[in-house]
Amino acid sequence: MSSVTYGYGGSARTSASVWRGWDRFDYVMVATALALVAVGLVLIYSGSLSFYEGPLASFQSPVFKQVIFACIGIAGMLAVSKFDYHYLTHYAWVLYGIGCVSLVAILAIGQTAFGSTRWFDLGPIQVQPSEFAKLATILALARYFSEHGGDAREVRSLLISLVIVAPVAGLVFVEPDLGTSIVFFAIWLGIVVVAGVKTSHLIVMGAIFIAVFPFLWTFAIADYQVERVSVLVDSNEDALGAGYNVNQSKIAVGSGEWLGKGFTNGDQTQLGYLKVATKDFIFSLLSEEFGFAGCMVVFGLFILLLMRGVRAAQIAGDTAGQLVAVGIVMLILMQTFINVAVNLSIFPVTGVPLPFISQGGSSLVSLFISLGILQSIVMRHRAYRQT
Amino acid sequence: MSILDEGFRAPGGTSRNRPHGNMAVLRIAILVAFVVLGARLAKMQIVDGAEYAQRSRENHIVQKNILPTRGLITDRNGEPLVENVGVYSAQILPQLLPEKETDRYQIYLKIQSLLGVSPVETKARVDDAIAAGKDYIAITVANNLPKEKALALDEASVDMPGVSLAITPGREYIGGEEFSHILGYIGPQFAEDAARLKGQNYQLNEPIGKDGLEKQYESDLRGTAGFTAVEQDAYGRQIQALQSRDPVPGNSLKLAIDAGLQKYIGELLQDSLPDTTGVWGDATVAAAVVMDPFTGEILAMNSVPTYDNNIWAESKDRSDELDRLVHDEKTHTLLNKALSAAAPGSTFKLVTASAGLEEGNVTANTTRYIPKTLEFKGENGELYPLEDWRQHGTISLIDAIAWSSNIYMFEIAGGLPQERIPGLGKDPETSAVILASWARNFGFGQPTGIDLEGEASGRIPTPDWKRRIFSGPEFNPSDREWFIADTYFTAIGQGSVLATPLQVTRMTAAIANGGKLVTPHIVDSVIAPDGTTVRKIETSYRDVGLKKSTIDTVRQGMWGSVNYGAGARANIPQAVVAGKTGTAEFFKPDGTKSQHAWFTGYAPFDNPEVVVTVYFDIGVGGDKAAPTAAKILEYYFDHVKR
Repeated sequence: MSSVTYGYGGSARTSASVWRGWDRFDYVMVATALALVAVGLVLIYSGSLSFYEGPLASFQSPVFKQVIFACIGIAGMLAVSKFDYHYLTHYAWVLYGIGCVSLVAILAIGQTAFGSTRWFDLGPIQVQPSEFAKLATILALARYFSEHGGDAREVRSLLISLVIVAPVAGLVFVEPDLGTSIVFFAIWLGIVVVAGVKTSHLIVMGAIFIAVFPFLWTFAIADYQVERVSVLVDSNEDALGAGYNVNQSKIAVGSGEWLGKGFTNGDQTQLGYLKVATKDFIFSLLSEEFGFAGCMVVFGLFILLLMRGVRAAQIAGDTAGQLVAVGIVMLILMQTFINVAVNLSIFPVTGVPLPFISQGGSSLVSLFISLGILQSIVMRHRAYRQT
Repeated sequence: MSILDEGFRAPGGTSRNRPHGNMAVLRIAILVAFVVLGARLAKMQIVDGAEYAQRSRENHIVQKNILPTRGLITDRNGEPLVENVGVYSAQILPQLLPEKETDRYQIYLKIQSLLGVSPVETKARVDDAIAAGKDYIAITVANNLPKEKALALDEASVDMPGVSLAITPGREYIGGEEFSHILGYIGPQFAEDAARLKGQNYQLNEPIGKDGLEKQYESDLRGTAGFTAVEQDAYGRQIQALQSRDPVPGNSLKLAIDAGLQKYIGELLQDSLPDTTGVWGDATVAAAVVMDPFTGEILAMNSVPTYDNNIWAESKDRSDELDRLVHDEKTHTLLNKALSAAAPGSTFKLVTASAGLEEGNVTANTTRYIPKTLEFKGENGELYPLEDWRQHGTISLIDAIAWSSNIYMFEIAGGLPQERIPGLGKDPETSAVILASWARNFGFGQPTGIDLEGEASGRIPTPDWKRRIFSGPEFNPSDREWFIADTYFTAIGQGSVLATPLQVTRMTAAIANGGKLVTPHIVDSVIAPDGTTVRKIETSYRDVGLKKSTIDTVRQGMWGSVNYGAGARANIPQAVVAGKTGTAEFFKPDGTKSQHAWFTGYAPFDNPEVVVTVYFDIGVGGDKAAPTAAKILEYYFDHVKR
């Protein structure tokens, strides 16, 4: 607490506290995230040309809406970064409970209305409870491990952590949203590894999972609608055209070659062959119009962003902070990986957006809030440095 | 202390621990994840990039082909024999049908009400196509729609996604049934030919010539397909035209055929089929060929009975009729009789006489006494009666041709050993070989090379041929032996001799034109769409190898036949006709004896202009074929302008 950049001589203690800690704020991380958002805006502009013809500065414009959400997200990030993350871990169980309830609620509505919807429709805004549930689960896992010796060496604590993640992952899975449930397990895996899980335990659990997997699968198919699940697994069976999308996205990606076809020149996108080009398949649009080179730049930005997140975990003042940071890094990493993998046809089509780039408010705002939590950890790492 | 800073104090004391995690694992995981994605991306964009780029172009650039207009066919005077018409059919592209089965069924029901096609059948075909993974290929549900149905479908298809009206080029043959054998027909490609045709840049929906001139001159008639390349979006909307090439219409054919003559002969032959003598019964088939002896131009070529070749295009509606036609075992109507082989009978005596004159064992003035029956001693020493059709008395070679003496011809070909009359060779076998070689000089036993497919070669028997044919274990050794009787029968165009009316015509033409064996052709010239001549079918011929004296003698015999002999009924007032009758005995499938009626001749005698050959499967040459030929020649001289 030695470095006060914007102090006012201690005359206004409350206002001084607002300006404290910004010297430790990770500007590189935020700049990287903003660069990704900028890439996203360019791509959304290009991808929306075929369906949006109005002016850019309009609430109907997808680019403009994305800018608004980015602003909301940045404001949220700044607010959260000034907020002690221990409040969040302290109320982690409450947040976790709310997350579970909202997932059950969406499942109930989904079954009666839309079947596979993942959204709450609140008039003009849509809220995706799984975005909230992801953060709540990260906080709950961090809280749990930070209270139990800060590690996952014991089988008992490992199993309990699994019990924490299983319900949310399961609820998301039956939405169905295979991608997000995998993200949940990846978060759990990242956290338990950093929390010191024994390799032998992990191997045994992995073996058990592989052994019971066929049974679980049969069970899932028996209990829930057959087609919907199989669509997730095998895109060729998709009656609604996911197979078509896979094919078109492959063509879009491959035809980009080294340098791409140029901004707004991707015929796959501009002629409407590539569906949801501004959302789940925005990476295909990137690949088509900016080629391998453009993709490498974006990969570089993601790697930089994630490494800054790892740095936050590295320098975190305590176990809770470290594990929260790890969870958020895993969250962004896995969402990116799954989304790009879907675009490159090495993963079944599933509704995971590309972090910071895909069009969509819920995801963008919650990602910036995640960055805010990381900033909160970075800004307080010295204050909570445990010795 | 504010909640904004590190002011949180957990109730119940601190639970903070020193972090001890190893971040290296996390860093490696991040790098591995992006390396995996980067490798896959490199494979898709760099290794396979060009292929995907090609697929991307194919995706949105739709090339639509424009089929060319097929060339027309006219007779020698420009009378059109074919018309190009549009063939309307209803098509379903399963890919574009609605998702829901109930919606699809509504469409099937609508098709039923419009076109009368059962919805069950439509559904089965669509489902089969989808099951076979071929939902992107259009199915034809109904073909040859009448115009009003086609229009109704076109209107209704707006509300029926996946259903469309297809128009493919078709032909209407307007010349009449008399032209069916010559013109042939066009039709859709067979699946087994599609791959080969694709190599020749054929479109799948492009019809091809299936028979007759339509097939023979396919490459001329077809033309060159054009195309338009259009950029199209994912919803099938056309964004912009990229490129186009107009189709080039096919070349037209101008035939040597005179349409009036062709029609006249067709009706004449049909009317002449019934028997007038009450002896042999009605003829079932007939053929006639009229040819320019110098150029080989076919002025008319008929085969009776004939059929309407529009039936192929209307095969769905006329399936019973077509079925009868295809399985017609009695008259084999689809077969062109002018190109089918039958025993040529006495017309072949022109070959035998020419051979004798050329080989020198007979001259124009060689006179012989020819009885009605000649006792002849065979190889085994037994006596056989050789029959002639009348008591000829002492006659010359010219009279033997004119009166069509069998025994005279026997003696030319095989000689008469008992009276030391020499044959063509030293023994019956050699004689037969020499006769056969002259027959081949006259074009027998081989296709004439006319510009039509399906021509029979005919047959000229030789000792070698007999040994080969009867070589099987089921035959006796004596079956393979060549007897003098075999030579005799060959000499009068019977036994195993087979020839087509066209071959006989060519033979007569060679006599008429001074010894040239011309290649007959039906097409006179190929005409470009702008009216210029692409190419004229040139006359080609080879020399038969006859001396002028031989030709003169044979001509005199033919003159005699028409002017005082067996072919007198071919005489006409318009010109002096020379000809030869033929009456060839054969056994009908039921075993009874019958005979073919032939006449072949040319006119005018001094200045030959036209050769005509008439064939009836049943009848007598002089009574049935000769008067028919006379009518044809009369028509020719009265109506055909050359």
